[in-house]
Amino acid sequence: MTATEFALRTDGLGKRYRRGWALRDCTLALPAGGVIALVGPNGAGKTTLLRLVVGLLAPSTGTVEVLGHDVTASTPQTLSRVGFLAQDHPLYKRFTVAEMLRFGRACNLRFDQGLAERRLAKLGIPLDRRAGTLSGGQQAQVALALALAKRPDLLVLDEPVASLDPLARHEFLQVLMGAVAEGGVTVLFSSHVVHELERVCDHLVVLNHGRVTLTGDIDTLLAEHRLLVGPRTATDLDQASAVVEAVHSDRHTTLLVRDGAIPAAPGWQAQPVALEDLVLAYLRRPSEPSAAVTSGVAA
Amino acid sequence: MTWLIWRQHRTEVCVLGLLVGMFGIALLVLGTQAHDLFPGGPARCAGDAGVNEACAASFRRLDEEYGFVENLLAGFYLVPVVIGAFLGAPLLARELEDGTWQLAWTQAVPRMRWLAAKLAALAAVTVTLTGMFTALLTWFRQPFDAWEGRFQYDAFDLEGLVPVAYALFAFGVATAAGAILRRSLPAFGVAFGAFLATRMPVALLARPAYALPLTTMEPIPVGGSKDQEAPSFADWMIERGYADATGRRLSWTEYYELEAAANRAGANLNQFLHARGIQQFKVYHPADRFWTFQLIEAALFVAVAAVLIGVVVWRVRRRMI
Repeated sequence: MTATEFALRTDGLGKRYRRGWALRDCTLALPAGGVIALVGPNGAGKTTLLRLVVGLLAPSTGTVEVLGHDVTASTPQTLSRVGFLAQDHPLYKRFTVAEMLRFGRACNLRFDQGLAERRLAKLGIPLDRRAGTLSGGQQAQVALALALAKRPDLLVLDEPVASLDPLARHEFLQVLMGAVAEGGVTVLFSSHVVHELERVCDHLVVLNHGRVTLTGDIDTLLAEHRLLVGPRTATDLDQASAVVEAVHSDRHTTLLVRDGAIPAAPGWQAQPVALEDLVLAYLRRPSEPSAAVTSGVAA
Repeated sequence: MTWLIWRQHRTEVCVLGLLVGMFGIALLVLGTQAHDLFPGGPARCAGDAGVNEACAASFRRLDEEYGFVENLLAGFYLVPVVIGAFLGAPLLARELEDGTWQLAWTQAVPRMRWLAAKLAALAAVTVTLTGMFTALLTWFRQPFDAWEGRFQYDAFDLEGLVPVAYALFAFGVATAAGAILRRSLPAFGVAFGAFLATRMPVALLARPAYALPLTTMEPIPVGGSKDQEAPSFADWMIERGYADATGRRLSWTEYYELEAAANRAGANLNQFLHARGIQQFKVYHPADRFWTFQLIEAALFVAVAAVLIGVVVWRVRRRMI
């Protein structure tokens, strides 16, 4: 795979604030095309990673390469290939929607005003309303329309639906996925909600305590992992490297293992694992520097 | 970018423009009337000419009719600070407050270009508004300056170059404080406070030391201590007092002792002092140093502003915001 086929590559990426490391040793290679979910609890370093990706922050260590270009260069060309929707979808509250579009046109190289106007008209968002008077869902839609009108090759969204009600969330994801289906754009978005991801995403990155704990193509990850349920064992299976997590109940032991590593012993049943359980198992693991599990294209 | 900057800052620019415009019209109306008191212009009454009768009458009427305006204007040295702080505070702070910096700096305009355009445009507005305001005020004060000179605090701080420098100083402090505090209103307060805290020491301690003051030393004439020709009233008097025959400066206690001795002896004070070779000295800056002092003080404040703007540029460049 050549460099440009990666939407995003990071190498040893780290960011330290005054209060400590927000992100450490982050090495990723995410394929272009499709939807990538960045999952982790609050404070895991998701926002920091996304800001590093779009060049809003400078890394303390390591490098970030977006679409084959170093983002710290920040030329108009590299900036115009990346769209960003920050958390809480900030807009200039006193601008009208039309003025927000004019802002986009004034500050971009290939801004598609017609596209943005069509999207907003379809959603029934009037152009003469001030952005601050729109509902949260409408503001998110305006911000998304702005980001998409840049015609970016990579669209980065930080917790895009976290502050939206279920209906607005549904509509937002519908528009986003519609844009993906039209083709050409790679979407990287963060979320602390794990369900619904399976339906929407192709690729997964799990971040915990400032470190990447799991990354890979979702189908591959699900195929590689399975749950083994058997009689309760006393042996210290937690230490085995193939065992992601061991849960002991009174009579049974449930192991989440990476495929092929442990032969199915007699009396043990193998089951596929749900994505949410897989993510939660990795989030529960104590953080170790070498714990990152990579799968799929990056392997 | 031009449209964006105008759209984002038009409220401040319009409010300040209106303010300056209103003050300007008031000053223009009052100033025209005050100037009319001086047929041939107030400059003709400046300096020694001011003692002739026509000028003295004009000055008297000026004081009676427009003296209150002059007193009001003494507080106007803060107007440039308000202008600079009002334009500088929201430059970065408002973007940081609202989170829109993430929007602004992820468009195709690189952040350094964005920052350079904003700084240049808003600093230009600051200079233009204060420049207009100061030009008008300088013109308004011409009759008063002819009377009192331009070195007093209510003249020096309001005229010439320094108000523009004060405004740029406030602009720089407000911008830098906004970048660090991430809030507009506290940034405005910091700029205002910083100016007030700087201005006093500068006016009282630094300004007299911009150049070595001149000293005159003359024996007390027998006929009495009528004010000597030089230094004139337009000069900036730093210190005056008495010295003995050797030139050693007398403390005021020593002087009062002499005065008491003269009273005891029943002698005329001037004759008494003259007989003992007491001299009168004056330490002052001559009036023609006005522009030199203006340049030095303006350079001082502009330099501080430049350093602060440099810090802001450095922080934005290093992506520390």
